[in-house]
Formats: sequence, C-alpha cells, structure tokens
Amino acid sequence: MVFGNNPDVGALSLRPCSLTQGVNVDRREFCRFLGVCGMVACTGSLSGCARALEWSEAQHARIVTREFGAGPAAVGATGSPDATAGADATASATASTTPAPPAFPDLAVTTGDDPAANTRLAVEMLGGMGRFVKRGQRVVIKPNILTAREPKFGVTTNPAAVAAVVSMCWDAGARSVTVFDRPTAPARQAYTVSGIQDAVRKAGGDTKILSDRDFERIAIPKGRVLTSWPLLVDVFDADVVINMPCAKTHGLAGLTLSMKNLMGVMGGTRGIIHQEFTQKIVDVNSLIKPHLTVLDAYRILFRNGPTGGGMQDVRMGRTCVAGTSQVSVDAYGASLFGMPPSALEYVVSAAEQGLGVADLSRLRIEKRSA
Amino acid sequence: MPAEKVAAKTPRASAPHARGLHRFRRASQLTFLAAFFVLLTLTVWPLGSVALGVFLGADPLIALNSAVSGVWLWPGWLALAMLALPLVAGRAFCGYVCPTGAIIETTTPSAGPGRLSQPVRARLRSLPAFVLLASAGLLLFASGAYLFFDPLAILTRTATTLLYPLLDRLARLLGDVAYLAAPLRPGVDTVTGVLTGRIVFAKPLAYAFQLGVLAVFAGMLGVSWLEPRMWCRHLCPLGSLLGFVGRFGLVGRVVDADTCISCAKCAKVCPMDAVSPDFHATDTSRCQACYACADVCPVDAIGLGARPRAWVFSPTRRQALATGGLAALAGFFAFTGIGRRKRNARLIRPPGGREERDLLALCTRCGQCMKVCPTNVLQPAVSAAGLEGLFTPQMDYLIGSCEWSCNECGKVCPTGAIARLTLPAKRTTVIGRAYIDRNRCIPWADSKTCLVCQELCPVPDKAIVITTAEVVAPGGKRLTLGRPEVIAEKCIGCGVCENACPVANRAAIEVYATARS
Repeated sequence: MVFGNNPDVGALSLRPCSLTQGVNVDRREFCRFLGVCGMVACTGSLSGCARALEWSEAQHARIVTREFGAGPAAVGATGSPDATAGADATASATASTTPAPPAFPDLAVTTGDDPAANTRLAVEMLGGMGRFVKRGQRVVIKPNILTAREPKFGVTTNPAAVAAVVSMCWDAGARSVTVFDRPTAPARQAYTVSGIQDAVRKAGGDTKILSDRDFERIAIPKGRVLTSWPLLVDVFDADVVINMPCAKTHGLAGLTLSMKNLMGVMGGTRGIIHQEFTQKIVDVNSLIKPHLTVLDAYRILFRNGPTGGGMQDVRMGRTCVAGTSQVSVDAYGASLFGMPPSALEYVVSAAEQGLGVADLSRLRIEKRSA
Repeated sequence: MPAEKVAAKTPRASAPHARGLHRFRRASQLTFLAAFFVLLTLTVWPLGSVALGVFLGADPLIALNSAVSGVWLWPGWLALAMLALPLVAGRAFCGYVCPTGAIIETTTPSAGPGRLSQPVRARLRSLPAFVLLASAGLLLFASGAYLFFDPLAILTRTATTLLYPLLDRLARLLGDVAYLAAPLRPGVDTVTGVLTGRIVFAKPLAYAFQLGVLAVFAGMLGVSWLEPRMWCRHLCPLGSLLGFVGRFGLVGRVVDADTCISCAKCAKVCPMDAVSPDFHATDTSRCQACYACADVCPVDAIGLGARPRAWVFSPTRRQALATGGLAALAGFFAFTGIGRRKRNARLIRPPGGREERDLLALCTRCGQCMKVCPTNVLQPAVSAAGLEGLFTPQMDYLIGSCEWSCNECGKVCPTGAIARLTLPAKRTTVIGRAYIDRNRCIPWADSKTCLVCQELCPVPDKAIVITTAEVVAPGGKRLTLGRPEVIAEKCIGCGVCENACPVANRAAIEVYATARS
C-alpha cells in the first residue's frame, strides 16, 4: 500500500524514485500544497486568457504608416500615358497630356451582351492584364458585395465579370488572386447569394472573408477629414489591387462607383463614415489608388441604390468601363446615369486635389462593342 | 457454485440476461450525445430544417405540449414512440438517449444514496408527481413556461448561449495569435473562411441572460452532489412524464425473491434510486432499464421480466388536489395576467413568430432559433416578455438585424412557435415599425448629413426616404439638408436601420412592435 491509511504512520511514503527518495511529506500538507498550486495555476491561466482576449481586441488601436503599393510605379514603368495620379504627390493632370509610345486609352468602354466578354475586351484595350499583373505577383480584387442579393438586382458586381478578371490575372501569371469585400450582411450570405464566391472559385481564385484582424489603423497623410482609419492591410500587402465596382445610385454620394467602392476596405464603425462623407471618400482615395479599375455596368441600379432589391429599379447597361484612374472612371460612370461628372461632389473634390482627371474632354476614351 | 445458481433459478428470472448491457448503454448515450452536438453545430444558415432539431421535436414533453396547442410536426411520431417506450423498457430514454442525462451521468456522482437523510430522500421521491402536476397546470392554461426546464431545451439553450460563443471567441483568439506569424496567415484565412457563419460570426456571439443559463445548468449538475443524478431522479419534467407512463410498465426488472440474499448491492449501484427497500420491487416510474443492478447481483437474481413488482410513490388525494390546485392557479394567473393584456412595445418577435399567446404556449425556450440566427439578432427575452416569457426569442436590433436573405429561425423551430415562412413571405411579414427619434437623429438634431438607415433599408421599395429641406442649423446657419423619414406602410421592422444607426448605444431610429391585424 502506497498511501497509508494507518493513523499511526500519518505520513505519505511515496513510491521510491530518484525524485522523491528520502522525502517524507505529510499527506494532508501535500494535498494542500497541490491544491494551492492548482488554484494559482488556474487563476494565472484564466487571467492570462483574459489578457489575451483584451490584447486581441485592442491590438489594432495604434496608428501605423503604410505606403500604398510599389505597384503604381511598376505600371508607370510600362510607359502608360494614363491619367492616374500615381503614387506620389507630384503627379498631376498634366501626365495625360504627354503620351508615351504604347499609347493606351485612359478609359476603355465596351458594350455587349456578355459581361465577361465586355470585361475582357475592356482590359485588352487598356493593354491587357499583363500591363498590370506581372508574373508571380499577388493580386487582390475588390468587387462590390454590399449585401446578400442575387446578381440580377445589380446591387453587387457581376460574378461573371469578376471571374473574367480572376482568370485574366491567372493568365498574366499571378501568384495568387484573392477577392474580398466587407459586406453589411453576414459575409457568408453575401458572398454566396451574390454568386461571387462560386464564380471566383470556379475561376480558380480565392475569396477571403475579412475579420477584424485584417484591419490596422493606418495613417492617411493627405487626409483632410480622415487622418487615420482602420484600413484593410491586404490592400497594402498586395502587389496589384483591382477595384471592381458596379454602377449604382446612392442616396448620399449620388452614385456609388469606384471611389465609393473603396469604403469596403475601411473597417471600424460603418455609420460614422457617413458624416462628412464625400471628403472621407476622397481622403481614402488619396492613399489607396488601385492599379486597375473595372466598372461593371452590365446592370445599372438607377433608383433605390445602393441596396436596391427590386427589378423595376434595374436596367441593362451592357457596359464595362476600365481605366487606371478611379476619378476618370467615375467621371465617365456618371454619364451612364445621364449625369455630368460635376454632379458627383467627391469626383469634383478629388479632381481639385489632383487625384485624377474628371474632365471627360481631356481624356482619351476608346469605345468598342464586344 | 455456478451449477448451484442455475439450479436455483425460477422460470421467471431466467428471462433474457441483462449482464453486459451497461457497456452498450454508455455507447448509446455517447452516440446520441455526439449526434445532438453534430446536429446543433450544423444548425446554421443555410441548412435550417426541423430535422436538425429532431431531438427537441422527438421530446415527448415538447411534442405533447405542441399537440395540445394544435401543432403536430413529424418528429412528433418519434415522440409518441418515446412516450410509449416506458411501457416496455422503463425510462430507457433517460439512460440510453437523453444527451443531458449523459452529461449529468459522466460529470457528476452517478449512483448511490448521496448525502441526504432517508426522510429527505423519501420526500424527494414524491417530487416527480408534483413536477408533472405543476406542468399540467401550466399546460392547461396554455403556458409553455414549464418547458424552460425541459432537459433537452436546457442543453440546447446552454450550448447556444454558452458553448458556441465560447468557441467563437476561442477561434478568434487562436486566429489572432496565429496571425502574428506571417507564414501562418494564408492558413488562418482559409480556416476563418470555413468557420465564418458556422462558428465565427461577424461580431463575436453574445447573448442576454448568459449567467442565468449558466446558473441553471450548473444547478442541474450541482444537485448531483446532494444526491447522485438528482435532476434525473426527481426534478426533470420530461423524466416525470416518462415515469408516469412507466408506472404502467408491462416489462421491467424482476427479482427472484428466493434467490435474493438481500445484500443491497443493487440498491447501491442503482443510478435512479429505483430499488425498493426490500430490493424485490422496482420503482417503475424511475427505472431506466440499465440493469446495473443485474450486473452486480452476486447471485444473479435480477432479470428482465413481465409485470415487474412496482414500488411507486403515489401522492395522496389531498396532496394531489393541493398541488393540482396550485398548478391550476399558476396557470390561471399566467393566463389572465397583465402580460397577456399589454405588450412591451420593444418586444419584437422574429418573423413568423405566432401571436403572443400562442408563442408563449408553444415556445420551448430552447434557443435553437438563436443558434441558427446568422446575425445574433435573436436574443432571449429576459424581462421584456415577463417571467412567463423568460428566454423566448426576441429581436435586439442593437446586436444585429433581421437578414433579408435568411428565414432559418422558422425552419428550425421544433414546435412551430415561429412559423415556417418562405423567403418571399418572410420579406413581407411585418414584425415592427421603425420610428425616427428626431431629437437624436443626426440630420434632424445636429443638421449634419447622414443616411445610413436609408442606404441600408433592404425593402426593395425603400421604407425610408430622404427629404431635402432648407434648414436652419442650431448655430443659425442656413443649409440644405437631406433628412430621413419612415414610410410606415412599407416598413417591415427588420431593424437594419436601427442596427446601422451611428448614434451610439441607443439608435435614433428604433423599431417598435406593431399591433397585429
């Protein structure tokens, strides 16, 4: 018997082994010691867990400085004469007046009955995906997946168009192609119902569901209202960012096109963004400048945007607009709704801040039908 | 010795030998426990179906309650089988099927007399009869409040409000930690993608009344230290119902009185306190047909046989009348109480939720609808529906909002307290109406732009409009401003606006319950 119950012995004689040999501990004392150790360990690990939870909730509070991709420089190196403001502050509208040899249009506009073909042709007209995506680069695509609505409602970017861009990226030799948005509906519903999840998977790309850990509070040096905001880190980590909005009306912004679509890379409280709204859109656009913008206007939600939901508010636009400047794409996009670019406050102030050219007469626009 | 024993057996005790059943019982319990949690984990968008709640639907207490209220779903047939089972196998449900019983049995002292004195134990043995009477009293007056204590409802509720939020938090924390190592990130993203909408949600799951649920569950387990399996033996309303049928058991434990040596081993191992003081009779209202007694019997005197000798507590007429009367009074006051006359204006039931009276009668308070809800908007009512409506589902639009593409809650409700609606029907079902608080709304009160409510209104025709007007801001400045207004007849009360409103802590647009037509 190892644990003696004999009160005369009253002590615990442990099985002889090298560790305990010669140690004679009172059993009760030993149990008490173990108990105390256990409680200390439990308290410690529990408080450790609590601290870990606290940490994981608070870790994105600090402001970091991130520069938006080396990508725009790479695009510039191809000698494109686009009206993109580029990555640096010196870029201005004058860039568009000095065309370089491989003269690509500033905006490519295609029409046709197949959204995928429209998209392909528009990107081809801009010089093909090879101009933006180099072999081995990581590409992220930001469509509009605002909420869980079927594609026919024109509330989300056409899945066929997204899939076309994904496969073009693969053809250009991309290392990875990831598609994401930050929907207002639960992400799984939005990704599934919008048809984008299926389409992207079929095209071989990944969809990523965003969570809080993907956002960091990033400084916006040129921001006038927003000086820092939780922004999606993936956009800064990627080599190439492609913005794929759809054409919709919006109560506050007038229209939601490519510039407004970047709200999807903003974290934090959605509601707060909507005060001094237009300037906030411009501020985000002053930091994040997608390398390629493809506006899907295959369907146009011309009323009750941005969440729509009724077929009577949708008309077939059968159009795709591609460009390298979000400001220019949005300026043209306004014309799809029969509006002048000046009707969009954020386009006007972005052009004023030198983020791009909004004057359609100064842009080289090429139209074709697919 | 063996030869002697065989010789001593009477024809009755030579009925099928029960030895070794114990191991099979454990396997059965664990299988059902696992099945229960697999089904509950699968209870997420877009899988919703009554089949996922089959445990609750096949719960005789719940099915009986629904049937009285005129609702019959297919798992009810299983429930009928369960209800008839005690006639031949005692409360086998409690020993072989019940996942709550399995948890109680594996985590707490599960056999023997416990710490209570004999007189107290004798009194406890009479409890099930009163539990049943009290339930019947509430049932009579169409109050399902007693289902709060249904063991399967308790387990579903505990898992929903405690286990899954815990898993959500843990998965997040692990993901956050793993994210620190850059090479792990793609893997974490993939896992997060798979878990999102299943275990991990847009915002960490949180429920009202979590501590209350924890207390009930802990109490259920904890009383086992007073007397092993006290919950199952004396308190469980489902067990009481099955035990009532068990009184009329045709087949059960029989003891060969000639062989029995009165060693009391059977009484000591009996998990259900079902062995009579003389060891020869069985409390057929409690015996779970596990035959642990037969396993330990040194003389093999215990077996399975017809017409077991019953040793069952029956309340005296006076006791029955007193309890029955009290229960009826409770039901009466629940029925006529103030809760049935006025309604909390903020008590918004999920779409498809029956009329308040029927909902209170049918709802099992299991929280399965809250489990399947993808936005966490479905919350247990703590005080809004009164004591009778504790833990019935309620929409809390500060936590989430009713998702346009989802109609799962009605699909998983095991009693039809939330009716099954098709998506188009659900989208036009009015559950409330939004009102703008102009004293707090940003454009109305502060003369600043904001239209989040209008922007996100999912009704195709937009129940919120922005009206532009020339206004004078508080400082005296004149400006043109768009201000939101609700078009009452278009609003369905989904709460997207209230949930998205940037005014902190209490939205400036709030949904209130509307009168039913």
